[in-house]
Amino acid sequence: MRDSDSGADLIGHLMRRAGFGSTRSEIESLSKQGYKETVENLLNHQIDDEIPVDLLRRYHPDQSGMIGLGGITSYWLYRMINSKQPLQEKIALFWHGVFATGYSKLTQGRVLMDQVDMFRKYGMDSLRLILTEISRDPSMILWLDNHNNQKSAINENYGRELLELFSMGVGNYAEQDIKEVARAFTGWTVGNADYMERRAQNDSLWPYGRLNIHFEYHTDKHDFGDKTFLGETGDFSGEDIVDIICKQPATARFIARHMYNFFVADEPPVTQWPYTEPRDPQAIDILTKSYFESNYSIREMLRVLFNSNFFKSRNCWYEKVKSPAELVSGILRLTGEFDKPDPKLQSAAFDMATMGQSLLNPPSVEGWHSGLEWIDTGNLVERINFASEKFSEKERPGIQEMIRGYVTMYGEKASASNLVEGCLDQMGALQVSESTHSALLSHASSITKSSEFDPVKAAAEMLRMVATTPEFQKE
Amino acid sequence: MPFLRYDRTLGVAAMENRGFYYPVDTAIHQNGRIYGLNRSHEGDTRGVRVCILDLESKFYGVFGSIGESDGQFTWAASIAVSNAGKVYVGDEYLERISIFDENGIFESKWGDSGVGPGQLNGPCGLSFDIDSNLYISDHRNNRVQKFTDDGEYILSFGEEGHLDGQFNLPWGLTVATDGDIYVADWRNDRIQRFTPEGDFVRKYGSPGNGDGEFHRPASVAVDTEGYIYVADWGNERVQVLDPDGGFVTKIRGDATISPWAQQFLDANVDESELRSNSNLETAVNIRGDSEHEMSSHIEHLFWAPISVKLDNTGRLYVTDRNRHRIQVYKRN
Repeated sequence: MRDSDSGADLIGHLMRRAGFGSTRSEIESLSKQGYKETVENLLNHQIDDEIPVDLLRRYHPDQSGMIGLGGITSYWLYRMINSKQPLQEKIALFWHGVFATGYSKLTQGRVLMDQVDMFRKYGMDSLRLILTEISRDPSMILWLDNHNNQKSAINENYGRELLELFSMGVGNYAEQDIKEVARAFTGWTVGNADYMERRAQNDSLWPYGRLNIHFEYHTDKHDFGDKTFLGETGDFSGEDIVDIICKQPATARFIARHMYNFFVADEPPVTQWPYTEPRDPQAIDILTKSYFESNYSIREMLRVLFNSNFFKSRNCWYEKVKSPAELVSGILRLTGEFDKPDPKLQSAAFDMATMGQSLLNPPSVEGWHSGLEWIDTGNLVERINFASEKFSEKERPGIQEMIRGYVTMYGEKASASNLVEGCLDQMGALQVSESTHSALLSHASSITKSSEFDPVKAAAEMLRMVATTPEFQKE
Repeated sequence: MPFLRYDRTLGVAAMENRGFYYPVDTAIHQNGRIYGLNRSHEGDTRGVRVCILDLESKFYGVFGSIGESDGQFTWAASIAVSNAGKVYVGDEYLERISIFDENGIFESKWGDSGVGPGQLNGPCGLSFDIDSNLYISDHRNNRVQKFTDDGEYILSFGEEGHLDGQFNLPWGLTVATDGDIYVADWRNDRIQRFTPEGDFVRKYGSPGNGDGEFHRPASVAVDTEGYIYVADWGNERVQVLDPDGGFVTKIRGDATISPWAQQFLDANVDESELRSNSNLETAVNIRGDSEHEMSSHIEHLFWAPISVKLDNTGRLYVTDRNRHRIQVYKRN
């Protein structure tokens, strides 16, 4: 990596991880504000995201009625591209990856978006609240069959995943604990469960569109008997189970590793965690300590994470392969193509699916495998083609702004080096390896030596080249 | 006695042929037929069409489809019947007006995209006056334009803003029997009234969810006595004001099973049996307290009531977009 210690570089890193990247002008503004203040603003729930929900609902009926997958993915993608509070969307994406719930079984857009809204609202709150909310989330209940979990016939699906995938990880509880958790969540169901389940099976929108689903607690189906869970005994309710889960060191480490994997650097898939040491055990310790000191607050863990040396260190920069959602949102944030409602946004949402991430429709309850698995050969071609295509559209307002910024900085007769540096800078204070830099410089030299050199065309061409580099696939 | 009485529900959700799929406007023809304009949504090539029916739910066919060719729509937004019985459809993406005969045979189209006089930028509300002139809510230009029924430009009024006579993304409009133009000034949360020449007369309502207040009103109709019916879209309700602008009543929706819906239930016994054992009238523990969220749970409520139209007997037709139906009311 090239050596640069400017605040802009660090802000660029922060905004790629805590958001979906920033334009050069945004980075300049945030640099003046300072790193720590920027982190605080990202963590502040009170800042308006400035999403014109009324306009989206007016122009895109299915972003209001939410029958299909296209409407909800477009709605969420619009938010990722345009939100002034990007960490809210990022934390929702984080929890969506952990508590992966999918359209394929629910055939219900509205109830899934309600879950994402819940992540947006509570995603930085205490883990206790988040686990309680996800346990009473209608889409999760139907996804993992908890509507069929009653004292007369226990269904362990939710109990098992709550421990294995949502909080502690395998190896930290016994099979009997799963049964006891399931007993504690008996009677946690949804209204009109049988009808809702059948409608989902039939993909029914009849007679009058999708019906949203609400949580109900049926005391007559709940097992009020004593349960023994992780060594404690009592007539535990679901909330009691969440309390016990939250105070386990295994839970703290599991959530910390998830956060490290999502915000700092790629880890192996969750299924390998019991057998693989964390990449940075000290970082996990720091996050775990914050978890307990803050009464399980995700916001406090994020505050510690973003201000930590392990996050700021260049050792973790560009050590995460962007998920398709991050890649597509980041590109469209830069190009400015969708700064207002537009029917073409849905094709970009479909492009994410082509790259391997159909948002709100994960392949299984395990969610997506991240890291290098995002860029198997076919997906990488799709990703590069998308980036190259979007940065070829010179008329887009964001690209125009980048070109203007470059020309303003370097004038009409830039050197090859200026061309490379200027374009990397305009695309969000990017940094590339020596070999990538050398390749870009070589291409820039051929452009600047041309007798028909035009700074605007040159910048446009170089922006497109940067978008096809290996570093642009990462964050 | 309430001012309005629920009469019936028309339609059923259907992506093709008979039924509605995100209907956005309704027009009532002199021949008694009802033309429901279905917008559908991006990503689905089905659904876009006009569905013709009558009050007794007799089905007369569909016309139109997704696309940019003659007779097709991309963002279908509004529909009106001319004094000569032609059916006019406004497309707020293709920036044009398409004209069909009463059977849905395409006849012609007009409209140029732009900001100059007579050009369109989002035609989304249509209403004819007694002289067969067409008023169009040209919403992204924040103005109303008046044309002859064959597209010759006559005049326009309005500009962007929140002062009297200015607009913020206006939506539906209507020509009252006295010739005045009532416009749903959507993002200004009010109804504005103008003379036929475009002079500001007065305004009704203010932002809010109280009686006589509006949140993003989408459509307005005025009956022969001067009562004003407003599709208070953002508040998920319809409100009625008296001719002086005083609050009369509000309705939140009373839908029942339409004949077409009943036919679906009769043919799908597994769903209808489970449905009959369900409570669809209440929802507890819902996330958020917005009316929009409530409407997503409770089936009989309006969900995105987008258009209000009156027939010559005074019946009120509320196009209930997200529920793919029309709820009909009568005056008491």
